[in-house]
Amino acid sequence: MADWKLKRNMLKAMCLLLALCGVLALHIVYISVFKADELAENPLNQRTAAMQKEVLRGRIITADGKVLAENLPEGGRRYPWGEAAASVTGYNGENIGGAGLEAHRNMELMGMSRDFSRLGPVAQLLQADKGNDLVTTIDSRAQEAAYEALSGSRGAAVVLDAQTGAILAMVSTPAYDPNFVESDWQHLRDREDSPLLNRAVQGLYPPGSTIKPLVAAAALGENVTDEKEVFDCSGRLELADGSSIGEYQGEVHGQIDLKEALAESCNVTFGALGLRLGGRKLGKYFEDLGFQQEIGGEILMEGSHLPKFDSLGQGDLAQTAIGQSSLLVTPMHMALMASAFANDGNIMKPYLVQKVVSSKGIAMENTRPEKWRSALEPFLAAIIDNYMEQVVQGGTGTAAAVRGIRVTGKTGTAENASGEDHAWFIGSAQLPSRKIAFAIIVENGGSGGRAAAPIARQIIESMN
Amino acid sequence: MEETILREKIPFGRVGGIFVMPLGILLAGLGVLYLKGYAAGEMSKAFEPALVPYLLACLAEAFILQFLLWKKKYDCTIFPLVLVLVSVGLVEIARLKPELLVPQLRWLCVAQIILMLVLRFWKYIREMLLYPYLLGLTCVFVLGLPMIFGTEIGGSRNWLILGPFSVQPSEFGKILILFFLAAYLSDHRHVLSLPSKRLGPLALPPLRFIAPLVCIWGAAVLMFVVERDLGSALLFFGMAVLMTYMATGSKTYVFLAMLFIGLAAGISYMAFGHVRVRFDIWLDPWQDPDGMAYQVVQSLFSFGTGGIWGAGFGFGHPGFIPEVHTDFIYAAIAEEWGLMGTLSVLFCYVLLSFRGISLALQCEQEKELLLAAGCSMLLLLQAFVIIAGVTKFLPLTGITLPYVSYGGSSLVSGFIELGLLLSLSRGRQEHG
Repeated sequence: MADWKLKRNMLKAMCLLLALCGVLALHIVYISVFKADELAENPLNQRTAAMQKEVLRGRIITADGKVLAENLPEGGRRYPWGEAAASVTGYNGENIGGAGLEAHRNMELMGMSRDFSRLGPVAQLLQADKGNDLVTTIDSRAQEAAYEALSGSRGAAVVLDAQTGAILAMVSTPAYDPNFVESDWQHLRDREDSPLLNRAVQGLYPPGSTIKPLVAAAALGENVTDEKEVFDCSGRLELADGSSIGEYQGEVHGQIDLKEALAESCNVTFGALGLRLGGRKLGKYFEDLGFQQEIGGEILMEGSHLPKFDSLGQGDLAQTAIGQSSLLVTPMHMALMASAFANDGNIMKPYLVQKVVSSKGIAMENTRPEKWRSALEPFLAAIIDNYMEQVVQGGTGTAAAVRGIRVTGKTGTAENASGEDHAWFIGSAQLPSRKIAFAIIVENGGSGGRAAAPIARQIIESMN
Repeated sequence: MEETILREKIPFGRVGGIFVMPLGILLAGLGVLYLKGYAAGEMSKAFEPALVPYLLACLAEAFILQFLLWKKKYDCTIFPLVLVLVSVGLVEIARLKPELLVPQLRWLCVAQIILMLVLRFWKYIREMLLYPYLLGLTCVFVLGLPMIFGTEIGGSRNWLILGPFSVQPSEFGKILILFFLAAYLSDHRHVLSLPSKRLGPLALPPLRFIAPLVCIWGAAVLMFVVERDLGSALLFFGMAVLMTYMATGSKTYVFLAMLFIGLAAGISYMAFGHVRVRFDIWLDPWQDPDGMAYQVVQSLFSFGTGGIWGAGFGFGHPGFIPEVHTDFIYAAIAEEWGLMGTLSVLFCYVLLSFRGISLALQCEQEKELLLAAGCSMLLLLQAFVIIAGVTKFLPLTGITLPYVSYGGSSLVSGFIELGLLLSLSRGRQEHG
């Protein structure tokens, strides 16, 4: 019989080897489980890109069936609308990351549902050779009209279905052409007018007078005024801290009530209402309308920059009430605010994809309209909606009027640091088929009534 | 003994028959590839007409072998474990390099025949244990061959070109070294355990007895520096240390060996560029992920992408890793079979080695015990070294994953080791 010592040594040596293998097994678990996502998503890892190439990516189409993005039979991806729908389609490049639906709905376009990606081999059973089509909520007529009206200037336009939150048009100019975004990347990144920025949801601007409907609603809701009160506009409002606010182009409005003040966009009246309300009450209405919130997913809306309402001085309070001071908002948010007045005080959650359809025509996902916020009392929304109609009928926004259609609106001419005033127009329109809400901004466009309101008219007419 | 009873009472159909089931992995895997090719309209190059006779021959040989093992009362559990690994390897080769499937099956045929020969002529092979010094010299000669006549393939100068074949002598050298160590150490183990000089806490044995061991350590280092074969060097060195420890139970040797390798490593790091590059890549592969560290980085991506469940057989992209069908086959398993696959394969080696050790415990002669234990540990150590390399646990080494990687030398030498273990499993009964 062999020496027992030999056997003992042998077992010890074996234990050492087994221990080494145990540590190695733990290391393998570490890299396959805990480091797995980091390694899988490393930009140098070409595996995801290789997988994407094997799948025929789905199309992106508008609600009325126009193709916004599709794969060519010979390979490569084509965007027939080019710049006009860039802020909707976005891009998905190998080395440049992605934006828009191409990036945020990548999994669906590749034919994978998010829920399957962790199932390993089982996911292969559910993986189709062809990806799913995204049916967007975009109305091609509105998208085209908005893009044509804005092209050549810097700006953005958002059109929503006020009753569902469906995004009917979303335009940001200057735009990039997704067909060439990869080859032009360096140039696009360096350009001073930032074409890669989706201004509709990421651009932050002072709202100017377009914020006045909110202030009017707050003043009525908090009973600091009523519909009958008559204000006296002398053309200038002197404030306790020595500063003052004046009227656009030195106008004097004289004796006016709240409805006329909104129609004429009277700074003196709204500055005074801001002072009466005080920071806290005014801030509550900004909060009710969701200005502090962002929206994620494919919309990716930034939250607004709000002043600290609790500690606003007299000057800043009055300036905030006429949409200046440190207040900055996105065009998407102004469209959401406009939809609140048009939809009985409710804001619907905005969405861009109404359906995900498999290559065989089966609907994989249907978006149901959802309420985002109950922003205002219905009676307040109705009063303001009525006031805003007056803006278009006989106030600063007559350029947006369309014969036979009830259009409401509010102009804005926002002072800013970059030069000429930004021209704003927000509002709603009762089309035969649906009620739309919109917000339009033309950067450094001057007067809202002259530069932005006509764009609203063109969009409404395109959809009529 | 329990297993003996099992083997005697249960008919072949229940034991031996079931134990060749691992070949089902091979057939199922090839079936998947065939159907996938059929569906895609382009058949994989693996399915050439020559496949059928080789496949049938391999299956028939495996059945005959298992029947013989059962009939002649060899251990019946090791061969099926090896069949699992071989099947996984063949399936992966068919998927990664379809044109190499038939050559690998041909090698499997040869290897299984050699296994039968080892079993048949074990009587004569065991005689080798009587001539340790001759073994040692042969070993040095075999390992030295590529230093003189060697050809460089894949960065390592450890290949011999013999007509149509290229052979890796180190694959066979490692078996000779096992024989040498088993024979030499059991002849001298009492002298080696006797300390003659004390140096502080260390008890040093007489120099003339440790000289052959130092020679082997030196040979290992030389292999690394001249042939650039870090994997074999680590393997040889590790085996020498493990077997010396088993034979003598003296930690002095382990300490001396570590000191020796530490010094050698330090000197090589400073003197040789390729050693430095290897080491720096290991420390931080992200410095040069597209250059020197490309292979390791791609291998790590495979593990990450595979995750727990893997992408599914045939659905990953292991092709990004150069040489994926040989040294990096484990990364391909990781990508497509996930953590489940990698741990199962590792577990197979542990079971195999465990079974080998339990067989060694029943050997009666010291030499045979050392040989059986050495064989079991060699397999596990080799699997450990290459798996640690592809997972960046240790610096990368270019050796094969036993039974799984593509390569004739590797497969044949693996089956010789298997033959030794099986023969030793039977020895105890003849004497008992």
